[in-house]
Amino acid sequence: MTDRDDPDGMSPDELLAMDVALGALGRDERRAAELRQRSDPAFRAPVEAWTAQLSPLDDDTTPVLPPASVWQGITDEIAPARPAVAAAPARSGWWNSLSLWRGLAFAGTAAAAIALAQIGPAPTPPGAPPQMLVAALAGADGKPLLSAAYDPMRGAVVLTPATQRDDAGKSPELWVIEGDKPPRSLGVIDIHGPNAHAISSQRLAGLKAGAVLAISIEPFGGSPTGLPTGPVVATGKLSAV
Amino acid sequence: MSPPSAGAAELSALLARAADGDRIAFRDFYDRTSAKLFGIILRILIERGEAEDVLQEVFVTIWRKAAEFDPSRASPVTWTATIARNRAIDRLRARGSRPSAPLDEAADVRDESPSADTIIDSGREAARIHAALAALEPRHAAAIRSCYFEGITYEALAEREGVPVGTLKSWVRRGLVRMKADMSAGKAAGDA
Repeated sequence: MTDRDDPDGMSPDELLAMDVALGALGRDERRAAELRQRSDPAFRAPVEAWTAQLSPLDDDTTPVLPPASVWQGITDEIAPARPAVAAAPARSGWWNSLSLWRGLAFAGTAAAAIALAQIGPAPTPPGAPPQMLVAALAGADGKPLLSAAYDPMRGAVVLTPATQRDDAGKSPELWVIEGDKPPRSLGVIDIHGPNAHAISSQRLAGLKAGAVLAISIEPFGGSPTGLPTGPVVATGKLSAV
Repeated sequence: MSPPSAGAAELSALLARAADGDRIAFRDFYDRTSAKLFGIILRILIERGEAEDVLQEVFVTIWRKAAEFDPSRASPVTWTATIARNRAIDRLRARGSRPSAPLDEAADVRDESPSADTIIDSGREAARIHAALAALEPRHAAAIRSCYFEGITYEALAEREGVPVGTLKSWVRRGLVRMKADMSAGKAAGDA
């Protein structure tokens, strides 16, 4: 109803691209849109076009010289040497590993992947790059189930389902399986719409490439035993990018 | 050929060297772009200490992602400004509120906006976008500016303005579409 006055002939994605470029979305919508930009070139293109369109506005903002302490802080963080991970194949950045995302995007609906980002100084040694971990969560048939983005500032994962599942009266639960250890619950999740899930940083701490994420369908409220009891509907291995 | 693209080419070259670990090139890049980015961040966050933190994060990100920069997809200035805006807005969202002035007050401040010199310096693109904004309903143009410069959400701005969110979105979206049409018309006329 309220969208009745929207510009004619624009798809919801085009409108969303405009909102993203303008920066007017709330937190969760921003996160969801950010993940889509990474996984869906057809969505990224209009966002980039609108961003470029608006960028001359930046000239309106008066430049302000930052204090010298800022550069000092930057050199402290990027010292001593360019970290091995980033230096290795110089072009193997996050962007280029997007073949993964693109593959997923083309494979089906929206990409289904979990992005667990550990950004910032938090648990990484000084000078180490932020480690980005991704996993595609797909069913046994290879069909993508959902995409997610992790917001390290509040330890929340935003999940965007790629397909609808009808699990009335049941609760999907997210697990991480590290090596030979038993699955560890990351909590009950909602996979019916874009949602933010607060997962304590304690639970996320130590997640490494190679660990497997899994979603099982549990009785309402989550597994009564602390281990998966219902069918596992999707799994995916975390890998560093 | 035009000065902005020559500048962009230099900045792209500095980024490419930074991607290979060249700190001197990165320092040069910082010197050329940090005041602009700090201005953008400060305008969104207002609070200076917080803006300095974010600026630091932004440059650490630029250093780490320099290899991902693709000059065929964005100018280096747009690429870095987008990182800066996004980081500042993320911080703002995490904080949950922002010292804010209603549009009318913002309208007073906003004509600190570009001096004639700035417009000439920053070339035709900036002139076109200002002309296109000026052609909109003042309230619609002010809403676009508030979203862009303050990083405010549609919801918060609608509340501040005392209009339904749907109305505000419609002002902004229709305004942007019209602005874009005006700008491409202006460009076509300029190129002709």
